Amino acid sequence: MPHFDLAAVLTDEFRGWLLQGLLLSLELMATTWLLAVPLATFTALCRLSSLAPARWLGFVLVEGIRNIPLLVQLLFWYFAVPELLPESVRAWLYEHNAEFICAAGGLTLYTSAFMAEDIRSGIRAVPITQLEAARALGFSFLASMRRIVLPQAIRIIVPPLISQSLNLWKNTSVATVIGTAELMYQAQRVETASFRGVETFTLTTVAYLSVSLTITALAVWFQRRFPVRTA
Amino acid sequence: MKSLLNVSHWAAQLCVALAGLISVQSAAADQLADIRQKGELVCGVLGTDEPMSFIDPKTRSLVGYDVDLCAAVAKKIGVTPKPKQLAVAARIPELQQGRVDILAATLTHTKEREAVVDFSLNVFVTGQKVMVRRDSGITKVAQLAGKKVVTVKGGTQEPNMRKAVPTVDVVTFETAPQAFVALQQRKAAGFVNDEVSLLDAFGKLGDAQKDYVVLPDSISVEAIALGLRKGEPALKTLVNDALRELEQSGQAQQLFFKWFGPTSRLKYRTRSFKIDSDRI
Amino acid sequence: MIDIIDTYWLYFLVGQYPDGPLGGLVLTILLGFAALMLALPLGIALGLARVSERRWLQWPVTALVYIVRGTPLLMVIFWAYFFLPSVTGHKTGQFATMLTALVIFNGMYIAEIVRAGIQGIPKGQMECARSLGLSYSKAMRYVVLPQAARNMLPSFVNQFVTTLKETSLGYIIGLAEVSFVANQINTLLLTRPVAVFSTLALAYFILCFGLSRVAYFLEVRRNRQAT
Repeated sequence: MPHFDLAAVLTDEFRGWLLQGLLLSLELMATTWLLAVPLATFTALCRLSSLAPARWLGFVLVEGIRNIPLLVQLLFWYFAVPELLPESVRAWLYEHNAEFICAAGGLTLYTSAFMAEDIRSGIRAVPITQLEAARALGFSFLASMRRIVLPQAIRIIVPPLISQSLNLWKNTSVATVIGTAELMYQAQRVETASFRGVETFTLTTVAYLSVSLTITALAVWFQRRFPVRTA
Repeated sequence: MKSLLNVSHWAAQLCVALAGLISVQSAAADQLADIRQKGELVCGVLGTDEPMSFIDPKTRSLVGYDVDLCAAVAKKIGVTPKPKQLAVAARIPELQQGRVDILAATLTHTKEREAVVDFSLNVFVTGQKVMVRRDSGITKVAQLAGKKVVTVKGGTQEPNMRKAVPTVDVVTFETAPQAFVALQQRKAAGFVNDEVSLLDAFGKLGDAQKDYVVLPDSISVEAIALGLRKGEPALKTLVNDALRELEQSGQAQQLFFKWFGPTSRLKYRTRSFKIDSDRI
Repeated sequence: MIDIIDTYWLYFLVGQYPDGPLGGLVLTILLGFAALMLALPLGIALGLARVSERRWLQWPVTALVYIVRGTPLLMVIFWAYFFLPSVTGHKTGQFATMLTALVIFNGMYIAEIVRAGIQGIPKGQMECARSLGLSYSKAMRYVVLPQAARNMLPSFVNQFVTTLKETSLGYIIGLAEVSFVANQINTLLLTRPVAVFSTLALAYFILCFGLSRVAYFLEVRRNRQAT
């Protein structure tokens, strides 16, 4: 094996590709996160609702998604779902970077299922008396959730949510199988062109780790600054 | 005198053994001896590139032109052939690391690759072309400027396409058939691959053939050869000898017609090359 | 969908076996099971190191756990792929590569489960055991870990479910596990992607949902026993 030569993969061209990939990965994570959190909250509230159909919907969403690998879901979203869409929607999709949209869609559903469970545990950790008191004072279910329960639940929810965000960051790498040109895809491209796997993957690992460790540091900071208050 | 020869012979063997221990990556000085000792020749094949190498759905085993070539080389060495499926992007790394002995994986002989692997005589010559949908109105490769094309990861398709049309948008997938599915689903305007693979995919379309057309201009000429690790002269000589024998006995021609001739999906009537040189 | 299952069920189940290496759903299950079995001792050892009082043990292991958990599994797979032959001197196949990557990756997660399990046992237990004359390791082995194990069991089953899902990434290095096989079937058929991928999704769902129900019942039983 030729000796380790980082300069070989740091040429302008390769560096440009890797940087493009890193930016797209970050974009994918941000888009997914902004869509997944509201969806997860909705699903969590469904599972906690007093209406049986809502509970059932939440259960199906969570268990259906959590038990199928992300790879399979992404393949399904990219190769199977567009075929079910009406012609005009499909044409629009293909004009507008279908790889990114399908990756974001699949990742959003996948991440939201896990986040929903963490949000649900967080809400359940708030003593039921809070909700009962709020209802007794005249708040509707949704209003009591929004004004009384959720704000208290947030401290409990945030650490596992940050952990799910870390998983999301790592999961963006799987999008390479549906042609999304994120960091892992570009790393494979650089490796093919340069014949230098070890150097390419060292750089890529460092790129992933820098974001991962930032997220982990954020989690540690949050738990120190806002520790969970026990009743 | 004899004892001196014995000592130097023994010393040479010791050096070889030490070299093998120290440099694990570059295997022992004679891969051919290794293969003979193992009793099998592990050939890296794609398994997803009909008819070069693919999985027969009925027998679920690996078959194809490349697989047959592997068998011929193995027969010459006197061992059993063992085809092993690889991803396109994994071909050269797996050869370099010694996971396979030889590559029979639709590997194009290029100048860049010569720095890392050795090549046998060319076993196939084809061009890379683009398949488009008839209703896209595209008749020349240059019209793909600014449009999206799909192909497989880790091959020469992407760089060749970008060289031919600098403003094209290339999206790659793990296997060529998967890229073809993307074309059929209208996710891209064109599908780039070796002419042989394109014609095979075209043949599989059946009735849908009227909706597709393979553009006549080639974006490159691909000389496909077997891949060998660098620094293995004995193996390389033997492989080339085996290939020359195939050509001279007429078996190479038969093999060509078996997989690419009038009875196949490709329906080539003549063979435009001979297995006799490794020039590119 | 029924006709696809009807025609391809054997290929889906075992891949090319016996005309080639084992593949399909059977490979997925075997790989997942083997990975978890090997990851358990690694995870327990690392978990114990994580709670250890000895700084020289705790810090490097903590760093290792953070690094591996911060790296995507796909990256770990590529590393195993490129490094393994140099390290072991053997030419490793895709199965060994995938197994190694899964064992290392899941070992780190199990280390965290073990750490949380041990730290969830009241400190009093360890203190009592030590004051009764047991050494640290004996106290761990006979007092703390057995109690922690019952707490950790649902998490271990969940980790098994996760491992089964992770085997799908073998697809990218050409390992013929069930997702790869499904893709082969899809490219053979070309016109039935929805049916093929739905079958694949269903297979995983039945497997993983079944196991996660087992974890759920274990957890319910544990909560009942605790009260």
